[in-house]
Amino acid sequence: MASKPVQTPKFIVRALLIGAIAIALAVLPAFIDPYTLRIATGALMWAGLACAWNIVGGYAGYISFGHSAFFGIGAYTTAILMQSDIGASFFATLIPAIILSMAVAVVIGGPTMRLRGAYFAIATWAFAEMLLQLTTVLDFTGGTAGLSLPAYLNEFFFYYTMLIAAVVSFAGVWLLIERSRFGFRIKALRDDEPAAQSLGIRTNLVKVQSFALSAAITALFGSIYAYWTTYIDPHSVMGPDITDQMVVMVLLGGLGTVWGPALGAVLLWITNRYIWSTFGDTVIYLPILGIIIALVVLFLPNGLISLIVGPQRGKELMSSILRKF
Amino acid sequence: MDLFLQTLVNGILIGGILICLTIGFQLTFGVLHVIDFAVGGWAMLGGYTAYWLVTLVGIDPFISIFLVFALFLLIGRGMGPLIYRVRTSRYARPDLMALAFTFGIFLFMQGGALWLWSYNSRSVESVLSGQFLSLGPVTIPLMRLSAFLMAMLFSLGLFILLYRSRFGMAVRALAQDRDHAGLMGVDVKRVSAWVYGIYTGLTAAAGVLIATIYSVNPSVGVRYTLFAFFVAVLAGLGSVGGVLVAGLALGLLEAYVATYIGARYSLLIVFGTLYLALLVAPKGVLGRGI
Repeated sequence: MASKPVQTPKFIVRALLIGAIAIALAVLPAFIDPYTLRIATGALMWAGLACAWNIVGGYAGYISFGHSAFFGIGAYTTAILMQSDIGASFFATLIPAIILSMAVAVVIGGPTMRLRGAYFAIATWAFAEMLLQLTTVLDFTGGTAGLSLPAYLNEFFFYYTMLIAAVVSFAGVWLLIERSRFGFRIKALRDDEPAAQSLGIRTNLVKVQSFALSAAITALFGSIYAYWTTYIDPHSVMGPDITDQMVVMVLLGGLGTVWGPALGAVLLWITNRYIWSTFGDTVIYLPILGIIIALVVLFLPNGLISLIVGPQRGKELMSSILRKF
Repeated sequence: MDLFLQTLVNGILIGGILICLTIGFQLTFGVLHVIDFAVGGWAMLGGYTAYWLVTLVGIDPFISIFLVFALFLLIGRGMGPLIYRVRTSRYARPDLMALAFTFGIFLFMQGGALWLWSYNSRSVESVLSGQFLSLGPVTIPLMRLSAFLMAMLFSLGLFILLYRSRFGMAVRALAQDRDHAGLMGVDVKRVSAWVYGIYTGLTAAAGVLIATIYSVNPSVGVRYTLFAFFVAVLAGLGSVGGVLVAGLALGLLEAYVATYIGARYSLLIVFGTLYLALLVAPKGVLGRGI
């Protein structure tokens, strides 16, 4: 008879580990220079975005190429409301940004998520591209000239705002997807939709819920980003690059895991900044992203996580280890 | 009325090139069941190769198009086994993995083009540049007319290959049922790789034609990927015949929007229509099958 493994010490180790990371992230700004602080802020943003994309792409199994639309909705909502003639305060703009993005996600999510696989990917991309074109021709978005926001040049403020947003996103995703019935519904949907349906899961509702949740987190980071950079234009917040990076970060880290996207995001973002500081621009970053994604698909289909734990257990671990975490 | 006729002719000429752009993409979907995100990237690289051949070597694009076709045929033939490997792998969702794979290739192409050629547009000149043919009220640039005819030539070549050769028979058998075709003695892996090669060759050739009419820059990749998707969705993914109608439809839509509503709205309306078309008829408007 094999004895039952003792759970408590493992749990304590993990709790201590998370606590240590949290404290390290909280005190980090005191020890680094402003330039590194900006990079850290960016890393937190991309980790949060990757986490958001993972809800639809990793857990629900719908590869979305349209998430830049929600990032842009968040950024534009904040930018428009903060302009001098309206003059809303930053935190007041977050609520409308989230509500608007969720509303858009519900309206387009319902019909779009009837499509499967590649059809869904094409449709979301077409939708994002449509919104991008729309922002370039509308007046209140400033057209191609973009919009400026009131500058608030406090790097500590943005670091902690991003940190709180990222922590809330990750904790929310962990609680909702790894620790609740909602998570089981999403995974059932991904693994076998007809079977999930036959068990009484309202799959359409679950799809739209996960899409809206993902959109809300994406828009939240879009809002913070707009205030942080103080200037936005259609291509910087609605362009396909935003989606591209979200997709690649999640694929690299591990689809459908809690911590994989954060790992992929931090690694790729630091690579991006390193290339930028070495070559003066990030043009070479795109082909590197492309090669990474192709190699990951060929050799590491379960992401970097499987590199750490071994290719064979990678896939089981992907869904099980992190659920226990 | 003259404007209407002129727009009609413009739309048809562009539509012909869109047919050439999408026909190989459809063949790939029909045989390999891969939606190739890199389709616009192949077209872009074809355009740049023609640009190099005309500026560095001095070969007219209407001649070098055959060289570009042959070159990309071989590149695609070389990459074919990789695509086949991903698509037939035992991943949980090989279709999405194949999509992600081609998406990676697309990013590589787009970023590589930016790095090699910068953001600036390059135009591909030909001896026919700046010559016109007047037919009553309609003026036709000879470039566009020859590009259209060239696109039709390549598309016709594909039809002949598909329906009048042993290889075409194997391709059609594969599209029907991969397992049974394999049992009947078709070398599935090899034929699939050649199909991918033919597709890249045709798409690069279409890219040459697009580059002679407009110009080529790294961002055209995204645009032509979406255009190819548009035509493919309208035709029904995998339907090679439907492309003939759908390509013309997109060419006409773009031409009429640009003339009567304004060029800056044309992409908005094209992508909006694509999105709606997917929602209304995800399986295509014009039927399916090779």
